[in-house]
This record gives sequence, C-alpha cells and structure tokens, in this order.
Amino acid sequence: MLKDKTRRLGRRDFLRYSAAGAGALMAPGLVRPAKAETAALTMHTWSAAVDTVQSHLSAFTKETGIPVNYGNSPWAQYREGMVAKFVGGAPLDAMWVSDSWLPEWAEAGWIAPVDEFDSLMKYNAEAEDFCTDSMTYGGRQYGLTYYTDYMAFFYDEAKLKEAGFDAPPETWDELVEQSLVMKEKGIADYPMMLAMAQESWLIEFISTLVYSHGGRLVDDNGMAVMQDPKEGAVEALSWVVDAVNKHEIVSPACVETGELAGLKSFAAGNHAFAMVAKYRLRMLNDPEQSQIAGNVKQAMMPKGANGSHATVGWMRFHGMSAQAAQDKARAENAAKLIEWFGGKADGAYTFQKLLFLDIGAGFGVKPLFEDPEIRAAYDSYGDVDMIQAQQALARKKDTVTPWFGEWNDTNGSAWQSAILGNVDPAGAVKKSADLWNELKDSY
Amino acid sequence: MLFLAPVMAVLGAVAVFPIAYSLYISFFSIKLTRPNRTPFVGLKNYTDLLGDEAFWGAVWRTVSFSLVSVTAIAFIALLVSLLLNQEFRGRRILSTILLVPWAIPYVANALMWKWIYDSSYGALNGLLYQLDFIDKYMVWLGDQDKTLFLIANAFVWKEVPLTTILLLVSLKSIPSDLYAAARVDGATVWQRFVHVTLPAMKPGFMLVMIYETMMAIRHFDLFFILTEGGPGSASHVLSWHIYVETFRNLSFGSGAAMSYLLAIATFALSYLFIRTLGRKI
Repeated sequence: MLKDKTRRLGRRDFLRYSAAGAGALMAPGLVRPAKAETAALTMHTWSAAVDTVQSHLSAFTKETGIPVNYGNSPWAQYREGMVAKFVGGAPLDAMWVSDSWLPEWAEAGWIAPVDEFDSLMKYNAEAEDFCTDSMTYGGRQYGLTYYTDYMAFFYDEAKLKEAGFDAPPETWDELVEQSLVMKEKGIADYPMMLAMAQESWLIEFISTLVYSHGGRLVDDNGMAVMQDPKEGAVEALSWVVDAVNKHEIVSPACVETGELAGLKSFAAGNHAFAMVAKYRLRMLNDPEQSQIAGNVKQAMMPKGANGSHATVGWMRFHGMSAQAAQDKARAENAAKLIEWFGGKADGAYTFQKLLFLDIGAGFGVKPLFEDPEIRAAYDSYGDVDMIQAQQALARKKDTVTPWFGEWNDTNGSAWQSAILGNVDPAGAVKKSADLWNELKDSY
Repeated sequence: MLFLAPVMAVLGAVAVFPIAYSLYISFFSIKLTRPNRTPFVGLKNYTDLLGDEAFWGAVWRTVSFSLVSVTAIAFIALLVSLLLNQEFRGRRILSTILLVPWAIPYVANALMWKWIYDSSYGALNGLLYQLDFIDKYMVWLGDQDKTLFLIANAFVWKEVPLTTILLLVSLKSIPSDLYAAARVDGATVWQRFVHVTLPAMKPGFMLVMIYETMMAIRHFDLFFILTEGGPGSASHVLSWHIYVETFRNLSFGSGAAMSYLLAIATFALSYLFIRTLGRKI
C-alpha cells in the first residue's frame, strides 16, 4: 500500500510541475480563472499564419458568439510543449495536430475522436483519401484537415534542354542516364539534389523513395517489411547509395544537407533535379528568391523498376482535446470551431483558401482545385493539373505509430550509414526493421 | 538560523529538490507519451544501458572527443600562456584578440563553425582551395571519420582563451626568485621549464583539466547545431543521446538514469585529477 501511495504522489507531483512549467513557459495568457475557462474555448497552434488564424478566429466569434483564447508556439518546440500541456492539464479545447503525432496523442488519451459529429464527418467526401487516412487511428477519426502537401519532383527545364532531353525522367534509372549526360556536358556536378540530413524531413524523403520504388516500410499489421528486398526499401536505398558513390550524380554532402539548404542550392542553379515539398514551387519560380525562376517545372515522381509515381503526403489537422470531449456543451462548441477551420465557414472552405493565398499552403479538400482564384494563383508558377494529379497519388506515412519518434532517429542513421558506405543497404534496412519490431513489441 | 531560512528554502527549491526528484524518476519507467504507465522499475533504467550498444557507442565517442579536445586545449593554452607571459610589443593587443572566441556565445560559435565547414560555400573549403591544398570542395561534416575531430576543433577554438588565462595566472604566481636560483645553479631554459615552471603550474593544470573535461563530456551545442549526431552516428555522443532520449523520445526515466551515469563519470574523473595532480599541491 505504501508503495502504491508513494507512486501516486510522485506522479501527481510530476504532473503538477509539468503543468506549472508548461503554463509559465509556453502558454502565457492561457491560464485563466476557472470562470473565464468555461466561457471561452482555448485553441493552440504553432506559429504559422498567425494573423490569418487570428482574423479567422475573430470571424468565428462574431458568427457564433463563442470567444476563443488563442495561443501559439514555435513549430520546433510545439510537440514537446503540447505534451507538457496535456500532462499538466492546461486548459485546451482545439489544437493543430501533425499526422505524425496522432497515434502518440490518441494512445495517451489527450485528444478525442470527432467522428460522432456528423457536422464534421460530411467533409470526408470532399477530402483527399490520404488526408482522411492520416487523421484516422484505431478506426476513429480525430479531426478535420486544413493543410496538406506532398513530396514533389521538380526539374530545371533549361538544363534539361541544354542536355538534349525533351522530357523529364519517368523512372529513377532514366534520371541516372540524364544526369550522367549532364555531368559529361558540365551542366551540373551533381544533377540530382537529395537532402538526406538527420532532420524531421528525412522520413518524408525516405518514404517517397520507397513508395516510388513500389514498396512500403511497414505492412497493414504494423510489422516491418522494409527489410524484404521485394518491398522497395532496400532497392530505394541502393539507388541512393549508387547515385552518391557509383554514378556521383548526388553530392556526398547530401548526408549533411537539410531540406532548406538543398532547396537553396537548387534555387541557386546547382542542380537539374530536386525532390522537395510541392509548396516550394512558388518560391522556386519567384525571381526575387530563385535564380532559376521560370524554369522550374514539376513532373510526376520517377518510379523504380517495380514502382509507380506514388509519393508521400503529409497533413495537419484541427483536433479536439479529450478535456473538451468530456463536456458535451464544450465539445459541441469545439466541433463548431473545428468545422470553421477544417470544414466550411460561411459555406466555403475559407480558411484553407486564405492559407493558400497567404502562404501557398496546400489543401486537402478537392473542390478547391476548381476555385478560379486558386487556379489562377497556381497557374502563375505551376501546372495545377500536374499538382492535382500528383496529389492524388500521395500516400500517408506508414511509419506513423506511437513509437515513430524513437525509431526515426535510428532509421535515419542507418540510411546515412549506408550512403556513407559504412554498411550495405540490406544491412542498414535490417537494423532499422529490427528496431521497429522491437519497439512494436514493447508497446 | 532564522536569517538563513529563506536562502535554504530557495536552494532547496531550485537545487536540492530537482536533483533529488530526477534521481527518484530515474527508478521509474516514465515516458510522457504514456502518462498512465509509469511503473517503478528499480535499477532497470541503469542496467538496460549496460547492454545498449548505442549507449556504449556514445560513451566511446564522448571519451574520444574529450581526450582529443582536452589534450589539445591544454597544450595550446600552455604555449599561448608561455608566450603571453613574456614582455613583447603588441602583447596587450594579442591578449585582447585572444579573448574573442571566449566572448562568443556557444550557440553563435556553433553556427559560425557550421558556416566555416559548409561544403558549398564554407570558408574552410574556400581557403584550402585557393591555397591549392584541395582540388575540389570537401564535404567536411559529411565524412564520418573527420566529423568528431572537426567538432573538437571548434570546441578547442572556443575553450583555449579561458584555459590560457587560467594558466597565465599560474605562471604569474611563480616567484621570480625560483628562476633566479635555478639560473645560479646553471639550469638551462628547458630545465627551468621542467623543474620550476611545470610543477608550479600544477594547480592551474588541475583546474583546467577538471573544468575542460567536464565541459567536453557534457558539451551539447556544437553537436546539436553542426551535425545532430550524424552523419550516421559519427557524432552521437552522450549529451546528444541524453537529449534525444529525454526531449525527443520524452523518456524521462531513462534520460534521468543516463544523466546520473554521466554525472557519476564526471565526478569520478574530477576525483582522479585531484588525486593525480593535486597530490603535492
């Protein structure tokens, strides 16, 4: 009994201090007297498009009469800060959630499913399937998407023509062939830009390479299949290893090149091909930010021998806290707020459109592709039909689980080790798969 | 005693309690993302580390980094302090310039070295290329054989000034009578250095070794900004391992256990230095 009591006290202390820390450090202004908490909803986001969010919130309050306390914190500290808030029981009703954290937050009981609200579920019919998949965990849906994007393949049309090619590569092998010609003609030292540094983007690059090689990292039962040579991961990693070490069409610096550095290098005209997030296209064709503006085109993701043009997609959504879900009235108000941002506001997908026009953020609701303003904006720097076609082939990250974070670092290191020639691709992927299965068992 | 009470309370709140609490949680399997499963596991967090290949890899890299950097710091600081102990024109200016690395914050220092080492536009590549030492730009931080040494180099650059000052203070405190007596006895410059200067600098060296070893073992900023533990696991040192376990994986229990092992190792090394160098002080 004494032991149990001690344990309970310890945990309570832990929660109390976490709450105090979170409240003091990360949410100034959010902690309100109890009376104010019940009167207003609390929403927390990361620090993106803050003015747009605030104006949309003001419109929500004007429309519904429900006040909202809004807080935000930097993306880099968002997950850890939110975990501290959840553990500490800080007031929270709605928040932005990354698809990567859904299993972790759902398993911990911090966020609640929203699939009991028909007012929210009706939007699934117009959302991209991978978005709905990415918001679903354990058979329940946890939110409404407001932003999505995918890994795209871009090429510099001028360099392609200079090398004597009429069309971009359809396959990864063709990419090697075109790149070797470019190297020979002195068009680029490293025609393909791949950013493989240990950072949060790495799993998106890896997943894209694997998917386009016709594979997957994990099967439907959550078991690692990446180590199976028929499942694309070994083939994809072997392609990268050869591209760096044998063909020398990708710089060995790729292991220290982050997504942003790679983007800048591509924008500076150092490469002919690049794999980066689709939303970067606007910047790449902006003459004030890119030396190759006007020449950057998008093609479908190259495919492996047994692969397809599949790519990885990611998304962010508005979720409801478990706190809010416990109180019916509060939950209904939170659902209205989620609909205002993730569904329609005043009969239109206003927030998604505002975000796109403001910062070029992608959207997961298909009807917006037909919006004349959005088509006009896309046409100024890209091919909207190509963008839509590639988005339709996007798939959710199959590695998103409660243990994703623990596995991700080791997986990244394993891929890097193979690129550096420290271990063969099969050995690297096996190491990653072994850890995956070990973690799966421990959960 | 009544006057001391507020101070004791503050010390208890900001030092004693956090330390005691972190020791307490190191015996639990506390993972923030599993708030409802925090069982008492006794020494398991500690014993698990003994069989953890990644942990031992991190230990080995930490030891290598510390050995290389502390040796280099002590050696360079000794040479510079001997130089600055001489009277020559421009000594004051040199002393001022020497302090610049020390004045730069750790994070700024790390960012500066990231630029210097960059494979596309880094100053190091530019310099070596113009001097014809290399025929193409090198990928410094992408080379796992060089990464740890390059980080050590950035660490040494930052730490040498303070160490030099500490050694210079030791040098200044040596009575000139000792040198005069040695000269009378016919001692050469080398003999005076070995038999007078070095023994007198022992307290300074002890301080330097303890301080710099602790700094090297616990150093984090350069690893975080320059490589994030990579490439592969080439710079995955203990401090990085603890950061990943605690703040990325949110495993407070095992993170605390690792921190305690690091603290014990640091204390043990400090004790060793005091026993070895402090014997005749």
